[in-house]
Amino acid sequence: MRAILALAIKDLQILIRVRAGLFFTFVWPFLVAILFGVMFSGSGRESSKIGIAVVDEDASIGSADFISRLEKGGKFDILQTTRDNATSLVRRGKRTAALVFPRGFGEALSRVFYGDPPRAEILIDPSRKAESAMMEGLLFQQAAEGMQKFFSDRTASQQMIHKALNDLGATPNIASQERESVGRFLGDLDKVLGSAPQQQARPGEASQWQPLKIEEKEIAPEQSGPRNSFDVTFPQGIIWGIIGCVMTFGIGIVTERTHGTLARLQIAPLTRAQLLGGKALACFVSIFIVQAGLFIVGRAFFKVYPTSVMLLMLACISVSVAFVGIMMLVSSLGKTEQAAAGAGWAAILPMSMLGGGMVPLFAMPSWMKTASQFSPVKWAILALEGALWRGFTLQEMLLPCAILLAIGMACFLIGSRTFRALS
Amino acid sequence: MLVLKEVRKCYGDLTAVDGLSLEVRRGEIFGLLGPNGAGKTTTVHIAVGMLKPDTGSVSIEGLGSPDLPEVRAHLGVAPQSLALYDALTGEQNLRFFGRIYGLSGRRLVERITWALDFVALADRRRDAVRTYSGGMKRRLNLAAALIHDPDLILLDEPTVGVDPQSRNSIFDNILALKRQGRTIVYTTHYMEEAERLCDRVAIIDRGRVLALDSVQRLLSAHGGQPVLVAEISGKTVRVGTDNPLAELNRMAAASPIERFWVERSSLEQVFLNLTGRNLRD
Repeated sequence: MRAILALAIKDLQILIRVRAGLFFTFVWPFLVAILFGVMFSGSGRESSKIGIAVVDEDASIGSADFISRLEKGGKFDILQTTRDNATSLVRRGKRTAALVFPRGFGEALSRVFYGDPPRAEILIDPSRKAESAMMEGLLFQQAAEGMQKFFSDRTASQQMIHKALNDLGATPNIASQERESVGRFLGDLDKVLGSAPQQQARPGEASQWQPLKIEEKEIAPEQSGPRNSFDVTFPQGIIWGIIGCVMTFGIGIVTERTHGTLARLQIAPLTRAQLLGGKALACFVSIFIVQAGLFIVGRAFFKVYPTSVMLLMLACISVSVAFVGIMMLVSSLGKTEQAAAGAGWAAILPMSMLGGGMVPLFAMPSWMKTASQFSPVKWAILALEGALWRGFTLQEMLLPCAILLAIGMACFLIGSRTFRALS
Repeated sequence: MLVLKEVRKCYGDLTAVDGLSLEVRRGEIFGLLGPNGAGKTTTVHIAVGMLKPDTGSVSIEGLGSPDLPEVRAHLGVAPQSLALYDALTGEQNLRFFGRIYGLSGRRLVERITWALDFVALADRRRDAVRTYSGGMKRRLNLAAALIHDPDLILLDEPTVGVDPQSRNSIFDNILALKRQGRTIVYTTHYMEEAERLCDRVAIIDRGRVLALDSVQRLLSAHGGQPVLVAEISGKTVRVGTDNPLAELNRMAAASPIERFWVERSSLEQVFLNLTGRNLRD
């Protein structure tokens, strides 16, 4: 194992020191993923607002005012619609969440210090916990600002208190002790507001109140397409990085043969299995680094995240195995670097074009989709997309992964036999 | 130390090695001398287990056949074609070769330092090999063969394309290794190198050993007599003799000698006498 590691480390060191190989393996894929992602995303700049659907079932002045304040707050991109449509939009990932103001919201908003607080519902994909928490925070902020408005407008506040006192008297199902206590408090508050000079309420004054009750309802997402353009371009970028690895390491083996270092290694106390194992390990590690790097950047900056980390790992390993085998095959395509590179690119470019490395699989004409079945690139992209946005189950993931593993093993076998013959 | 018995290797119709037998003794510098295409490199490749002979056998004393990786671990080989990674530094190359021979940790660091000092490349250790001169690459190639401190070292034409300074440096290295008790097989087509370095020399042509002995004995046996060359009355006279001094006295008694010198036989002459061809044909 130590010899295999030594061989792999040496190949990775060479990769790092050869700038062209380094560029096409680790830089070019990012350019493909990000530049094409930006190009296909339209303006190239996503809105910083949270896109939500709003359902105003209450249709009251209070709810309309609340929604208006939400919109003016600039944190939300609001689409008002029905509950069914809002649910559908969230399910299909077209809106981050839906905010529902049920009947009685405006009424509850005008009731202060007694009874049930105003109630709102958030319909959201349970995996989007960060967005959910952020929304709750923003909604509470809006409700608190409503309380602030209440205290700053003395006339309106007194009218509201009078109405509340009347309502309190007319409402039968309130305990007498609570009725008395709230009535005394509202009466005192009415006096204070009547005698105090007009002044801005301090935000902290309302902070101890619970001005809003939020109920979160989970909406299971239905993945029918990529969430954004980066969902498509990042797997494509990965493919280009992998192609860089395949060509660099494949040609590297030919270079070892033509420069005599392979003969030197055969004189060393290494078995052929160790020799091939070292080459395969270096290529595998590079391919895995390309994938991991792109997914980390995608997750951090471009909202590219897997539906299942385990399935993504399975896809990445299968893709790595497949292309390690293809690398071995490329190394056997010619006796010289030029011959192997020419044959390698001639084989890999059409493979990539047909397989979705350039045109997304879902955008291909039907004849191309049929032809793509013969390209390992198609199965690689399908596996990666399956773990990203296609929402594959483990069973669905098995087919592309099994095909990739079979391709990898077959190519490696053919490549290593030819390697033996050529060396 | 190294024994080849009746080794034969053919490539299609071409017989590269034709029933070659030889035995390299422990602690000696053994030369394989022959023209290009004589079968020297094929013999070395068979000796280190890189090629399998069609017939015959190879064994390393006390270890067995070099087909086995554990036996090859005791061999140090500097191939004729430079086997270095140009993109890596000299130190990285040596670290890699050390690792594949099982070295690690402090021992690896010590051996890298020793090898770089030995071939006088310590000051260039962090430079990429592609920036080295041809002579420096040859020296690093030698260092890579020595990194794991092997008992038996095979050097295949180690001075090809090397400047005189680096060549002398390599000669000094080889003689130092001999003083350390290493056994060295040295292939060359330069007779001067064989005469200068080797304790014994096998003269090879067309895959066969034509003669094998110490340089002096080869010269005595196959080089012919030394030649006394004298200029007498403006004429050059050449006389083959085993006793040049006696012959000179005889000639001087007959007539005055203006100039004279003795031409000793060389391995070139040995090869010519054995094959009818020059070594560099």
